[in-house]
Amino acid sequence: MEYILQQSINALGWGSVMALLGAGYTMTFGIIGLVNFAHGEVLMAGAIAAYIAMSVLGLPFWVGVIASVAGSVAIGLIIERVCFKPVRNVGMITLFIVSLGASIILRNLSILTLGDQLKPFLVPDFFAGVFTFGNLYIFKKNIIIFSLTVIIGVTLATFVRKTKFGVAMRSVSYDSSLSQAMGINTEKIIVFTFILSSILCGIAAVFWGLLYGYVSSSIGVEVVVAAFIASVVGGIGNINGAIASGYILGIGGALFVAFLPPDLVGLRPLFLWLVFFLILFLKPSGLFRANIK
Amino acid sequence: MNENFLLEMRQVSAGYGKMTVIHDMSIALEEKSIVTLLGANGVGKTTILRTILGQTVLSSGQIFFFGEDISKKPTYFRATLGIGYCPEGRAVFGNLTCKENLQAGAFTLKDKRRYQENLDRVYSLFPILEERTNQLAESLSGGEQEMLAIGRALMSSPRLLLLDEPSLGLAPQLIQQIKETLKTINEQGVTVLLVEQNAHMALDLADYGYLIKKGSIAFEGTAMEIKDNEQVKDVYLGIM
Repeated sequence: MEYILQQSINALGWGSVMALLGAGYTMTFGIIGLVNFAHGEVLMAGAIAAYIAMSVLGLPFWVGVIASVAGSVAIGLIIERVCFKPVRNVGMITLFIVSLGASIILRNLSILTLGDQLKPFLVPDFFAGVFTFGNLYIFKKNIIIFSLTVIIGVTLATFVRKTKFGVAMRSVSYDSSLSQAMGINTEKIIVFTFILSSILCGIAAVFWGLLYGYVSSSIGVEVVVAAFIASVVGGIGNINGAIASGYILGIGGALFVAFLPPDLVGLRPLFLWLVFFLILFLKPSGLFRANIK
Repeated sequence: MNENFLLEMRQVSAGYGKMTVIHDMSIALEEKSIVTLLGANGVGKTTILRTILGQTVLSSGQIFFFGEDISKKPTYFRATLGIGYCPEGRAVFGNLTCKENLQAGAFTLKDKRRYQENLDRVYSLFPILEERTNQLAESLSGGEQEMLAIGRALMSSPRLLLLDEPSLGLAPQLIQQIKETLKTINEQGVTVLLVEQNAHMALDLADYGYLIKKGSIAFEGTAMEIKDNEQVKDVYLGIM
């Protein structure tokens, strides 16, 4: 029992990263039907921006955070305007293929200019350290990341539930042309959704760096499928659902590996797919109510 | 032409993609009137409403709202001018609650007090919606969804209300209720453009009407003139 608790606590940081990525993914999925293969590169853009700010230019951590969010938002917006907007009404498959192209181009641009090797992410001393609670070891950074993500999650949930904008986001996700007839400027809502989604990636990039002490040009491809699965499991377009699913996948995945025999540890990704297919069989619409028709 | 028409379509041809559905159509709505569009399925009645909203491809002609040319304006802009829309088929936002649907309808409203007034008005017109206020719209019955769609269209204090087949598939009692609601709304100053299969209900309510046939106007006149017209009687055998 204690072993499970310890493993779960260890996975709080990673679960938080998954939660944020899933939340950002599900927003853009719900609002224009985009299965975004380039979501991982939006994360990568933030991570690389933070790396350049902190490790290359030697700027302090808080600048790195701003750089990460700015980098993610910049790339996220560029992809939206250049790649997705022109084909928005053509269909989901086209959008998906376009995102795949954007992902390949961005990832390889980064590899070409900066290389694919791991790049150090300087973790400030503030995040180092361990608490002990009985027999449990709790890494400080896991708690900080988890707490911040909970705050972000609650803020997002309130925003989506209570504000006019949040209602507009959900109505555009359900029926875009009917929303227009209500006087909602759907273009503005879509752009705003992409910005919000990218901000979450920028924050997740910082958390990634704090957890692992490195970033790279390829971190995008490692997470994009998991983000997709989190959004489907949670109910497409449902932000709370994606956050919950992110934690389920992150912590569940860690527990899954913890109970595997050592030579089967490579089967970790299997857990994602098991959950994915389980949901598709039992409740394909997702754990929570999706925001699409 | 006149500036005392609330809405004018002048020689409008419009449709979807390369297909033109309505041809060279001219319609004029006087302020505070109830006008109905009659005709069989598929003749273009819904297309007319969607063209007013800007959700079709306008190949020729112009649309004026209070004398202002809105032909090139996007849909959301036209909504902010005071055009409310109740589409056919009980189109509610299924993922939003009853109340959130009404909030969505009031999106263009800046005045909190007017929002509350409109909400109270919708709840007094359709008390069942207040009962179901926090329920997801998709869990409402067909009749309740139709009431929600109509109520939502009223939330923005529109000057022109476009309704597409509000009575379709509803029980007679509810149809009567909706008829009275529309009458009340009109008396409060809202101009109504009503697409209806139920010619009886429509002509009872309307001051003026257009009979649409294959994308063109076959006949237009006052409600009385339409009721007396042989062409119309041909189309609506046995209803009148």
